[in-house]
Amino acid sequence: MSLLTVSNLTKSYRCGSKTIAAVDDVSFHIDPGETLALAGPSGSGKSTIARLVLRLIEPDAGRIEFEGNDFLALSGAALRARRTRLQMVFQDPLAAFNPRATVARVLDDPLRIHGIAARAERPRRIAALLERVGLTADVAPRAIHEISGGQRQRVAIARAIATKPSLIVLDEAVSALDVSVRGQILELLLDLQRQERIAYVFISHDLGVVRAIAHRVVLLEGGQIAESGDARTVIDAPQSAIGKALVAAAPRLNRIRP
Amino acid sequence: MTALASIRDLTVTYRRDGNEVAALKTINLDIVAGERLAIIGESGSGKSTLALAIAGLMPRSSRIEGRVDWLLPSSPSSGAKAPLGGRDIGFVFQDPSASLDPVMTVGKQIAEVAYTHLGLTWPQAYAKAKSLLERVRLPDPDSALQAFPHQLSGGQKQRIAIAAAIAAGPKLLIADEATSALDTILQAEIVALIRRLVAEDGMTLLFISHDIALAAELAERIAVFRHGELLELGMTAQIVGAPTQAYTRTLLDAHIGLDAAPLLNRAGLDA
Amino acid sequence: MSPLRCFLRTPEAVAGAILLAALIAMALSAALLFPGDPQAIAGPALLPPFQDWSLPLGTDRLGRDVLAELFHGARTSLAVGLAAAAAALAIGSVVGTLAGFAGGLVDEVLMRITDAFQTVPGFLLALAFVSVVGPSLGIVVIAIALGTWPGPARVARAEVLSIRERDYVAGARVIGMHPLAIAFREVLPNALPPVLAMSSVIVAAAILTEAALSFLGLGDPNRVTWGGMIAEGRAVLRTAPFLSIVPGIALVLTVLGVYLAGEGIVETTAVRRGLS
Ligand SMILES: Nc1ncnc2c1ncn2[C@@H]1O[C@H](COP(=O)(O)OP(=O)(O)OP(=O)(O)O)[C@@H](O)[C@H]1O
Ligand SMILES: Nc1ncnc2c1ncn2[C@@H]1O[C@H](COP(=O)(O)OP(=O)(O)OP(=O)(O)O)[C@@H](O)[C@H]1O
Ligand SMILES: [Mg+2]
Ligand SMILES: [Mg+2]
Repeated sequence: MSLLTVSNLTKSYRCGSKTIAAVDDVSFHIDPGETLALAGPSGSGKSTIARLVLRLIEPDAGRIEFEGNDFLALSGAALRARRTRLQMVFQDPLAAFNPRATVARVLDDPLRIHGIAARAERPRRIAALLERVGLTADVAPRAIHEISGGQRQRVAIARAIATKPSLIVLDEAVSALDVSVRGQILELLLDLQRQERIAYVFISHDLGVVRAIAHRVVLLEGGQIAESGDARTVIDAPQSAIGKALVAAAPRLNRIRP
Repeated sequence: MTALASIRDLTVTYRRDGNEVAALKTINLDIVAGERLAIIGESGSGKSTLALAIAGLMPRSSRIEGRVDWLLPSSPSSGAKAPLGGRDIGFVFQDPSASLDPVMTVGKQIAEVAYTHLGLTWPQAYAKAKSLLERVRLPDPDSALQAFPHQLSGGQKQRIAIAAAIAAGPKLLIADEATSALDTILQAEIVALIRRLVAEDGMTLLFISHDIALAAELAERIAVFRHGELLELGMTAQIVGAPTQAYTRTLLDAHIGLDAAPLLNRAGLDA
Repeated sequence: MSPLRCFLRTPEAVAGAILLAALIAMALSAALLFPGDPQAIAGPALLPPFQDWSLPLGTDRLGRDVLAELFHGARTSLAVGLAAAAAALAIGSVVGTLAGFAGGLVDEVLMRITDAFQTVPGFLLALAFVSVVGPSLGIVVIAIALGTWPGPARVARAEVLSIRERDYVAGARVIGMHPLAIAFREVLPNALPPVLAMSSVIVAAAILTEAALSFLGLGDPNRVTWGGMIAEGRAVLRTAPFLSIVPGIALVLTVLGVYLAGEGIVETTAVRRGLS
């Protein structure tokens, strides 16, 4: 049975007199432990889908089924409790945290809110989470703006896995990172997936990265699905016009490299 | 091969909260007239600092040692005449909305550069602005002249910023992460546009990026920076094909292209 | 540079700080220097200033010590000004945060209430409230706060509206934080700086409003206030103008001091934020 099933999801925005269909009748599903990539040019609706799936915004139409339940039917405390299973990592890790927060507080929040660990036990749990994402416990007291971008994204991942989710939505989570740091974060994500069977919705416009880490890919254009299928099959031989354009536009080293 | 600018022992230190940060350490580099030179390196390696120092735009809180000598063909004395930002050097930044004035029409912003540096009258400057918008292949240049920046998409804004940067016919165009905020399709379009404009006008290009593949597609020479030092400088084919520095090799290996070995296999998840 | 040294760089801020320090010193030392009842008779009536060095600023119509009254009046002015401003800022930030964060109907209702309060002049509101409920220090504080909170509420709401859209608020929702906790723990603290920037103006206005209420006889009758002193002196304005002028000057200097020091603080924080 699939972990997340999205059917006929639709969301439009009014922009002056015009209505923009940001997401237009989109359906897809994800199995446990699987990585599904959402790729497409800017404005194709990738982030809107992420926000819909996380119930940060409400759809105009469509269904979202998560872990066998109607996710759109939840509200209030029931929704907040279910959120432990469904987490998100944002593109800009600096914007994704309260500017006044410290690393410890950022990781303390989910543990406290969901009663995952008693107060006395939390510092130990925080240290363990930091270690899990390849950081040491001594970054805990530091302010969020006092650590590097790569470290920050690790903290964001630590926060996302604190509640033991079955699905994490990563919206351009590695796009703002340096190439070398990006590789390490991708390795970390794969490692977590292997050990805890976490599924990912991996949003990116970089097809090279998508091809390297996703099982399946959904290519979007103008809020609609242009093409979907096995990541390597789709990217190696795209059928849709947008797929071909995206592949053609990707910078390549092998054109120069012998 | 004539140098447009020659950088000798350039050292830049920033003062911040009482301590000094060395952003560039004794850099020696010649920028050849008419070449496309890429500067690559990780975040904080000093790429932007180099661009600002070349353009003479360093903030006051910084200390600069060493020399940047210019051999501008336009200057009669052909000596060390300082170039003029806007006229001799065009700048394109990563975030186009930050370099465009939100309350001025796009046409006026471009025309202003032509008016100030080329001594044109306003009507001539506007005509020049329109022809520039055509050159950067903006659809419907007439209505774009009247548009405000917020009415344009990211890619369109970046074209406007490029049009403004080349309005005065600079000798050197500096693009600092000019395509990093765009998606790959727009990025490829902007890179093609820069390449065409540089070729048509015989401009020299300094292209700053942390994406080695992108830099390799555009540049003839690549300079690799790390921790404020110039690690390696060479022709693109040599840097990409036979780098002498281990760090350059790490950068190349970190690139995940469409032909990269999937990370997924190593994770063994496919079953 | 340390915040204090940064703050003391502008001469305006230094002047404000000195005035404010003098006022606070007066308020704190009033009970020490003039331990008795300031409203008790201390000497002959209408003694002009600088005549008798035990009564340096002279006496009023009833023979009360003007200097003692001035010191005790500083206490009232400062207490009422700070308390009223604190109350107005607290009410304003809570209402503004709730309105901005909840949006929709809650926002609509709260902002209409704010409008209603803002359309009635604050002073009239305070006047009506005190005349109905009766004058006492607490009531005067509430009356002044009642007319002042809409300003901070609007500023807080505008700030919250922009912060609400940031990723970190979405992040807090994703980890399942309660909406009220998000509003008050995550959003409000980051919306406060521009609201607090208004505090100098609000404190100054509150001090003036309190003086005006006392002048009209609506202050706490058991306390000496500068407004009350000016009103007292009005009857003998021609023969003993100093009775109105002395508390008047104190009032002007206090308001000026509060305002200058407040501006200095805003400037300092703006500079520091600009640097980082
Ligand atoms: N709050 C909003 N109000 C109005 N329009 C919006 C809003 N959010 C998104 N849109 C529009 O919806 C469309 C899809 O936007 P979305 O952010 O989902 O794109 P994206 O694929 O994530 O793009 P990017 O790669 O640039 O992040 C765009 O046309 C955008 O302008
Ligand atoms: N105005 C400044 N004041 C103080 N330090 C600065 C300033 N600008 C840059 N630095 C520091 O100088 C170093 C080099 O910065 P620079 O911006 O040149 O790097 P970069 O290679 O352009 O990085 P990025 O890829 O992130 O843009 C960094 O350590 C940075 O923190
Ligand atoms: Mg997006
Ligand atoms: Mg830079």
